[in-house]
Amino acid sequence: MQPLLSIDAVSKRFAAHRALAEVDLVVEPGEFIALLGPSGCGKTTLLRCIAGFLTPDEGRIRIEDEDITRAPPYRRPLNTVFQSYALFPHMSVADNVAYGPRRAGVGRREAQARAAEALALVGLEEMGTRLPRALSGGQQQRVALARAIVNRPKLLLLDEPLSALDLKLRRRMQIELKHIQEKLGIAFIFVTHDQEEAMAMADRIVVMNAGRIEQTGTPEAIYRAPATRFVAEFVGEPNLIALEPAGPGHARLAIGGAELPAASGMRFAMARPEDIVLVNGDVPDDLATFPGVVEEVLAIGPLTTLFVRCGETVLKVARLGMSGVELRPGSPVTLGLRPAALHLIAE
Amino acid sequence: MAASRTTLALLLFAPLAFFAAFFLAPMAVVALTSLTTDDGGLTFAHYARILFDQYHWDVLWVTFRIALATTALCLLIGFPLAWYLVRIVRWRSWRRACVILIVVPLFTSNIVRSFGWMVLLGRTGLVNQGLMGMGMTERPIRFLGTETGILIGMVYILMPFVVLSVGNALAKIDTALEDASADLGVGPARTFWFVTLPLCLPGAVSGAIMVFALAVSAYVTPALLSGGQITVFSMLIFQQYSSVFDFHYGGALSVTLLVLTLVLVTLAGRIGERGRRAA
Repeated sequence: MQPLLSIDAVSKRFAAHRALAEVDLVVEPGEFIALLGPSGCGKTTLLRCIAGFLTPDEGRIRIEDEDITRAPPYRRPLNTVFQSYALFPHMSVADNVAYGPRRAGVGRREAQARAAEALALVGLEEMGTRLPRALSGGQQQRVALARAIVNRPKLLLLDEPLSALDLKLRRRMQIELKHIQEKLGIAFIFVTHDQEEAMAMADRIVVMNAGRIEQTGTPEAIYRAPATRFVAEFVGEPNLIALEPAGPGHARLAIGGAELPAASGMRFAMARPEDIVLVNGDVPDDLATFPGVVEEVLAIGPLTTLFVRCGETVLKVARLGMSGVELRPGSPVTLGLRPAALHLIAE
Repeated sequence: MAASRTTLALLLFAPLAFFAAFFLAPMAVVALTSLTTDDGGLTFAHYARILFDQYHWDVLWVTFRIALATTALCLLIGFPLAWYLVRIVRWRSWRRACVILIVVPLFTSNIVRSFGWMVLLGRTGLVNQGLMGMGMTERPIRFLGTETGILIGMVYILMPFVVLSVGNALAKIDTALEDASADLGVGPARTFWFVTLPLCLPGAVSGAIMVFALAVSAYVTPALLSGGQITVFSMLIFQQYSSVFDFHYGGALSVTLLVLTLVLVTLAGRIGERGRRAA
């Protein structure tokens, strides 16, 4: 199938600052893509280039067959949900949503009907006559979404649309957005700096750093097999254990000393906190064990994290529920991990 | 909070008393005087004299015509100027310099500025010399003693009010709104018409009301630039108070001007409101 959006080697500079460096990205129809990265990584710049508010210095952006690299925003077959919502304060909610169809020449009645339909989709059918400022932040967010999908674009861009909402509302909107996206079959490109949000919603995550794409992949791939140390550290909390060379094709863990097959050039083995276990009594054969001393116990309810010092490094060990809260700082423990299950990182 | 009741009452009373003493009282005195005769009896004769005399209507018409034209020109020139300052100027010190250039004239007296225009607009003034130098006219154009001359002076003096209030409204518009309009498929011209303009309309209306109110009651500029050829209403009032010493008749003239101005300003406000709602 022909890709919906293809971005080829797009670069953008702001004076001396390189905001985007030869970014490539392909988005399939109906896909939910999260652009994830710290602030200043170029994710919003990339989104603005796709929307047409910025023109790339180099490279090409195509939607289906059409080259839109230099097309003005009002000639692009896509819509945007803005971070600040950007609702027109002088128009009612219904007029805000009907604005696109109205200006495109759709009759007043037809436009109002479409607006009502879009508002119903986001659960705001009752609010049409109100002014945006009379709505709560969450409701304004929904109006912005309704206004952006009323024309049924093939591609919707969302610029940190949930960042102004409180945590509970945010969780609810994440699920709702995902449902709306699946129902309409519109491709979403969703900018966020919140890795949990990206993991919860996206089909594919694009991790960006310093104007470059570090890795593109499913949430699982990004989490289990990060391509770089940056991705490992930005998504979740990794334990990075240094590798020492141990003959051709092999390396030795700096902690515990277990040997494992490793291509040359691999410098770290990554273990997620849930990959490391506390060992009591019998040890399975494939588990490498080593001693440590508890430094800190952090229990947040569903998860308890132990910070265990093993020589130079402090390892994070996650346990479900409140198990492990009885351990006190200073307690000696034995940790275990499966060397074969570790993911290796070069840099 | 029961204790704050007295405080609240005092807080309300203080500004109320201030307004009563400095705004209402003088107006009441003028209004009362306009309704009385020299020996203190009630009369509407002064108003009858104004309403049934064609001359007053002629002067009123000239006054309002000049004020409306001044307001229109101030908007027409002030809006692009405000746009330039808020949207186009990127260099902060240049913008500050422009704002100072616009505001500083407000600190000098009207008389000085009107005299300046008398010099500039005279037969051998800079304006006529320039026009003739460029070959745009063969003989000097008469500005002084014409409505055009008065208009030039008034527009110059009152322009800052429009620039400042429209500029303020423009600066408050989130440019993301224009982005959103473009994103929804609407080109720049129609975005201006449907989004930007309605949002600065309140600023434009308040600027226009200020300009109109000041233009209708202006005395110094029309007096100096009319060269005795044109009479506006404030001149009639001034004559009654300063030369004829007929405070009753002068008061009636003042109240007439005030009422007519209020009616027009209210109408303009309504239009502004409706325009805002319709958009």
